Amino acid sequence: MKKLVAVFVVILLSCAVLGCVTSEKVTLKVLHAGSLSAPFEEVERLFEERFPNVDVQREAAGSTKTIRKVTELHKEADIVASADYSLVQDMMMPEYADWYIQFAKNSIVIAYTNDSRYAEEINQDNWYEILRRPDVKFGFSNPNDDPCGYRSQMTIQLAELYYNDSSIYDDLIEKNTNLRMTFENGAYILRMPNSEEINPSDKIMIRSMEMELIHGLDAHEIDYYFIYRSVAEQHNERFLELPPQIDLSSVDYADTYKKAQVVQSSGNVITGKPIVYGITVPKNAEHRDLAIEFVKLVLSEDGQKIFDELGQPPIGPAVGSGNVPQELMTLICQG
Amino acid sequence: MLERSKLTLKMSQEKTILIFTLLGAIILAFIVIPIANTIATQVILDADALIKTAKDVAVLKSIWLSIYAAFLATLIALILGVPLAYLLARRDFWGKGSIESIIDVPIVIPHTVAGIALLTVFGSHGLIGYPLSNYIGFVDALPGIVVAMLFVSVPFLINSAREGFESVDPRLENVARSLGASRWRAICKVTIPLASRHILVGAIMSWARAISEFGAVVIIAYYPMIASTLTYERFLSEGLSASRPVAVLLMVVCLLVFILLRTVSARWGRYDRD
Repeated sequence: MKKLVAVFVVILLSCAVLGCVTSEKVTLKVLHAGSLSAPFEEVERLFEERFPNVDVQREAAGSTKTIRKVTELHKEADIVASADYSLVQDMMMPEYADWYIQFAKNSIVIAYTNDSRYAEEINQDNWYEILRRPDVKFGFSNPNDDPCGYRSQMTIQLAELYYNDSSIYDDLIEKNTNLRMTFENGAYILRMPNSEEINPSDKIMIRSMEMELIHGLDAHEIDYYFIYRSVAEQHNERFLELPPQIDLSSVDYADTYKKAQVVQSSGNVITGKPIVYGITVPKNAEHRDLAIEFVKLVLSEDGQKIFDELGQPPIGPAVGSGNVPQELMTLICQG
Repeated sequence: MLERSKLTLKMSQEKTILIFTLLGAIILAFIVIPIANTIATQVILDADALIKTAKDVAVLKSIWLSIYAAFLATLIALILGVPLAYLLARRDFWGKGSIESIIDVPIVIPHTVAGIALLTVFGSHGLIGYPLSNYIGFVDALPGIVVAMLFVSVPFLINSAREGFESVDPRLENVARSLGASRWRAICKVTIPLASRHILVGAIMSWARAISEFGAVVIIAYYPMIASTLTYERFLSEGLSASRPVAVLLMVVCLLVFILLRTVSARWGRYDRD
């Protein structure tokens, strides 16, 4: 028995020691938004091919949480990439970073399958008519919990303006849930009730996170749902692209997007703006040079190809703000 | 000499008990500290929020719904699971080993996966959900919650009841039958009462497991919100300070129910030992 224990201890110890020896590589810590997981996985592979002595460690979380890890938990990070560039500006600058680059964008689309009702009919001009039909079911994520959720609401709010039909939001959302929109001072405002009071009818499926709705579509529980273009693309779903005036994809319509607002149940006010990803190297980065190489790869042609294929179209040339490092200047234009 | 060896024996026994107590205390602390810490932090630092939460209709409704849905799931598990447990304990048949393994599968698979599987089958276009769709809806409704809870909790009841039946000597049942009782009567009057403590413990475990379920439930029924969903929801939208009182309240309610049921089952214990 004693022997057995001794052997066991020896094995354990040798594992521990070996583990330490093999992890001699340089570790590059990348904190990023959840929706960047797929493209960053590719970038990681490419980067490790080019820098074999580097181990890229990625950590995905919601964008706000990702930034809080650096600013509140003082976690060391070499790269921070957020699904909303303005969060870097508002939460990290100037204390934790002094520049950022807008490098890719995303948009809200309506995903569906071949089996969805009226799938063959739906297009940019009639989607809200189809969602209105009584036998059509659709879904979105909870605006209290999920940026994709409140952005979907903004898209529907803006649709009233764009299609000049003031009953779109009433018919699609208000008749089927407890969500109520008001028009104040030239802006559409949705004041969210507590999540347990949303009370969706049979027509609507709400889930906490956008990813959970995918199963609803797969099980044919819903016909359509509002989702990021990148997610639809990465899951090989069919999707309908919406006009840039309402899909939150374009910096050109930033002023239009501002007209949509969501007040979350916590009191947090969110104003519509383009879904543009931002990347930066925080001031506390341990491997600044390698981190800049990583950003270079993201902005390079190879990197842009990855983002394009995975449904997050790159912004070319990328737009830099603040004190952008000299090494990156050739890849961006100053915003 | 003899006395002395007896003494060392006694001492070494004491030592064993001492070591066991120490190890036991560590694991007990591991369980108690997070629970006590959560409750104490809430009561000491933010008793107002707890009182406010205890008066919040949405919270009370969700806790009641959790308890009620878990109760329904346990009831179904009793009606359908106990007969199966009896067969597994008493009969040998081809494929018994695989059936026993299958019963344990819900314990092993990740809850989200269980939820997806259930949504696919019980959804309004699913294998079971579609034929029933005119009578009963599972998605975002109470039946969906019950189904998810039943799926993850029924193994505890079946396994415990099976152990109970195995612990009852089959000869007792045979004696009853030789005295003229039908099989049904013999089972009801002899076997089930003797195995009742195991069945009760299994039911409590199954009910408790059902209450704690979250991952499978949110996939098939985000609404109406059970207590675990509401806790998660409050955490996401308003943070820890809003979700903790809900969790504390659920903990306290469950603790009370647990103590009550354990007391009952301890009394029961005397019955089958005698």
